[in-house]
Amino acid sequence: MSARDSLAIPPTRTAAPRRHRGERSRSYAPFLLSLALAALIVWSWSGSDIELDKLASSGGRIAEFLGRMLPPDFSVLPVVIESSAETLRIAVLGTLGCVLLSIVFGLLAAETLTPRWLHLPVQWCLATIRGIPLILVAMLMVGAVGLGPLPGILAIAFHATGMLAKFYAETIDGIDRAPMEALDSAGATFLQKLRFGAWPQMAPDIVRDTLFRFEMNLRESLILGIVGAGGIGFYIQVYVRTFQYEKVATLTLVVVAFVILIELANSLIRRMLR
Amino acid sequence: MPGSAVALDNLSFRYKGEDRGSLAIAELRIETGEKVALIGASGAGKSTLLRLLDGRLRGFRGQASVLGRTLDPARSLPRAWRCDTGFVFQEFALVEQETVRQNVLNGRLGRTRPWQSLLGRFGEADHDAVERAMGDVGIAELAEKRVDRLSGGQRQRVAIARCLAQDPALLLADEPISNLDPVTAEAILALLHDCAARRGATLLVSSHQPRLIAPFVDRFIALDHGHEVFDGPPEALRDDTLAGIYEEAGPIPEPV
Repeated sequence: MSARDSLAIPPTRTAAPRRHRGERSRSYAPFLLSLALAALIVWSWSGSDIELDKLASSGGRIAEFLGRMLPPDFSVLPVVIESSAETLRIAVLGTLGCVLLSIVFGLLAAETLTPRWLHLPVQWCLATIRGIPLILVAMLMVGAVGLGPLPGILAIAFHATGMLAKFYAETIDGIDRAPMEALDSAGATFLQKLRFGAWPQMAPDIVRDTLFRFEMNLRESLILGIVGAGGIGFYIQVYVRTFQYEKVATLTLVVVAFVILIELANSLIRRMLR
Repeated sequence: MPGSAVALDNLSFRYKGEDRGSLAIAELRIETGEKVALIGASGAGKSTLLRLLDGRLRGFRGQASVLGRTLDPARSLPRAWRCDTGFVFQEFALVEQETVRQNVLNGRLGRTRPWQSLLGRFGEADHDAVERAMGDVGIAELAEKRVDRLSGGQRQRVAIARCLAQDPALLLADEPISNLDPVTAEAILALLHDCAARRGATLLVSSHQPRLIAPFVDRFIALDHGHEVFDGPPEALRDDTLAGIYEEAGPIPEPV
């Protein structure tokens, strides 16, 4: 399935004819593209005021900086673990929210289910949602409903729907109609056709995409606390801004362990489902 | 017309803006228990006729009755009628991700209480029908395998088992062997014939391979542009007749 690859790219249908344009433009294209890429890199470099000798001479400072993280201050462990748990709760409830929204918008965005005048605008909406950074959504949600985990959950649910609903729609569009027709011919009801014809075809993709999105939600929700939307991000900000690097070290260890654990659990679930 | 599994009178149908697949049949009777082959060039109306008999064709004109029930051109068939007609598809139309057993069980959906089946509960009669169907087509040992792990011939056996699990009185097969090698094709045809015979069901098979199919049927019906151009026993079907039927489609498709 190419769901992930095509995330930001329009369907290949529109891309295909471009390849068959005139010989001339095709032979110039690689050269022009290389030129444009080179110009982009030069522009980025020259505009950024980077002094390489400064980086070279700062080696000692980086070492000293890292040294200040040692030894990690484990006295904050209970606080850090509790706020990681809050981050996990935000990710779980946020994922639940985006799954519910994605079922609705996935059905509406499916080209094989809804007319053009409906699925095109819905697809544009989803693309727009994908274009809004999570941190911006979170700041708006904090403004709307106040501090705490609730704006975080809402932000994740909203933000993740842009991607998950698109995946769901593509899964729905990928269903083979022939078995559905066969079940219809055998006398199945509409619900029976969904349960025995459509669902078995969709389930592996739906589960895989949902787990994948959950993992992304978890990683993205780590920073939500920075804008006051709950979770461990709040402590990341506090400890870094107040130069308490021993505490930052503990926090980093916990976050890394936590993310690895969740990824292991996820891949275990995937293997069980295969 | 008691005894007729299929009765068509002044039947006509045309797809919107297209000549291919249209039907114009003055009269056609197929008696209960008959084994019939349906031949004709691509687009001659074979699939349309089979869809009609399966109750999946809307907007036809004329009289059509299947198993003694009159078809309504404006409405899909009631659920109870749909299970009496079994359909075997050219491309198998199985749920690839499911096991063989579940696919065959799907043939029982029309005969179960919808809510119970949605909860995954099937009755004794359903499981018995599934075992018998799998046994009849020789796939009992594949029961727990996933369909996407099977060969083409095995898949068509599963599809036939699903159809048999319905306990159909009329078996329709739309080019069931066109995706199979000749040896497998012959085995599948024998299987369709025997299963229909054992259950006293009527069989109607469409195919582009008249010579391969001849030993397994008692009657040939040929369509050309939706018209019936031949109706008779296999012996009466001669080379020049075949050449006439396939004239526009080029040479006779397969000399076996």
